[in-house]
Amino acid sequence: MATETAPAAPLTPAVFAILLSLAEGDKHGYHIMKDARAPQGGGIQMGPGTLYGSLERMMRDGLVEESGLSDDERRRYYRLTKLGQSVLAAELERLDAAVSSAHALGLFPHGGRS
Amino acid sequence: MRQSSPSTDRLDRLYALALCLYPAPFRRGYAPAMRQAFRDALQDRTLSRRTLVPLVLRDLVTSLAKEHLAMLRDTFARPALVFNAVVLSALATGLALALYAIPQQVLRQGANDPQIQLADDLAARLEQGIAPAEAVPAGSVDIARSLSSFVIAYDDQGRPLASQAQLNGTVPAPPKGVFDYVRQHGEERLSWQPAFGNGRSVRIAAVIQRVGGPHPGFVLAGRNMREVEAREEQVEQMAGLTWIGMLAVILVGTAAFGWYARPRAA
Repeated sequence: MATETAPAAPLTPAVFAILLSLAEGDKHGYHIMKDARAPQGGGIQMGPGTLYGSLERMMRDGLVEESGLSDDERRRYYRLTKLGQSVLAAELERLDAAVSSAHALGLFPHGGRS
Repeated sequence: MRQSSPSTDRLDRLYALALCLYPAPFRRGYAPAMRQAFRDALQDRTLSRRTLVPLVLRDLVTSLAKEHLAMLRDTFARPALVFNAVVLSALATGLALALYAIPQQVLRQGANDPQIQLADDLAARLEQGIAPAEAVPAGSVDIARSLSSFVIAYDDQGRPLASQAQLNGTVPAPPKGVFDYVRQHGEERLSWQPAFGNGRSVRIAAVIQRVGGPHPGFVLAGRNMREVEAREEQVEQMAGLTWIGMLAVILVGTAAFGWYARPRAA
């Protein structure tokens, strides 16, 4: 049963990458792992053990849930809950503020993104 | 997607075996999905084996440790269970201390019994005016070796006047502070260690009494505590074993109860 309490920020890299991946829509395990591995997904090298361990705890915290979709009975699809969406938004705001601060301090090499 | 090959099948089977190492509840919930994710990774052309295999090995090690710890935490780290175990352990520790302290005190106090009467008798004879050399029974007791009781008469400054006891050829005397205490309080019962060192330690159950009368002084009656201390050590070992046994029973009982009453997934 979900406890419906948001985990305290900052999130772990694995949890953040999973939330970010599921923000696009329902996905199964390997799809999430692949998204997380990509630079835009956080560049997190995550194996199945870390992924499903994190998913279990995230379901317990009420951040994600199984969607019930399946193209194969061995593939389980997950989606964000409302709480998951708001936790992701809060984390993105936190990171955005940190990045803005780093920009203001000129910490990015070559000026960073425009 | 890659075609299934013998090496892919072998890795898949190895991974299926490795999944058996996860805690049963986690395995029941996620093993098929994890295996499928691994199969998907094996089929992914963008992920080389050289990257995948070390990644999965690292993942196995870290996630196995994490999931087993999580299972232990869920099973045993419940406040009521931990509280009960701590209370029972404290009771067991108190009981084991009592099992050691009570017999130890009985043995130690009992070690004074003959000396109390011996010191009384010698003090009475000296107070009657009998000379120390006559009042102290004849004979020589090597207090480092013999378990016999012995008496020593001292003058008012704590110098030996007559003695049954010898230690390395001399008459031993307790520290001056002991005589000062007896001068004020009349009697002292103590464990006295007249010789120190490896294999040369001698401990004496001593009773010292003040002698009144025209020639005041002190009498000391003592006995080597070797046998008493050997029995005390046996009591200590028995109490220690009892303590370890009780803690083991509490640990096993707590683990069994924690496992039986563990939270189960709906």
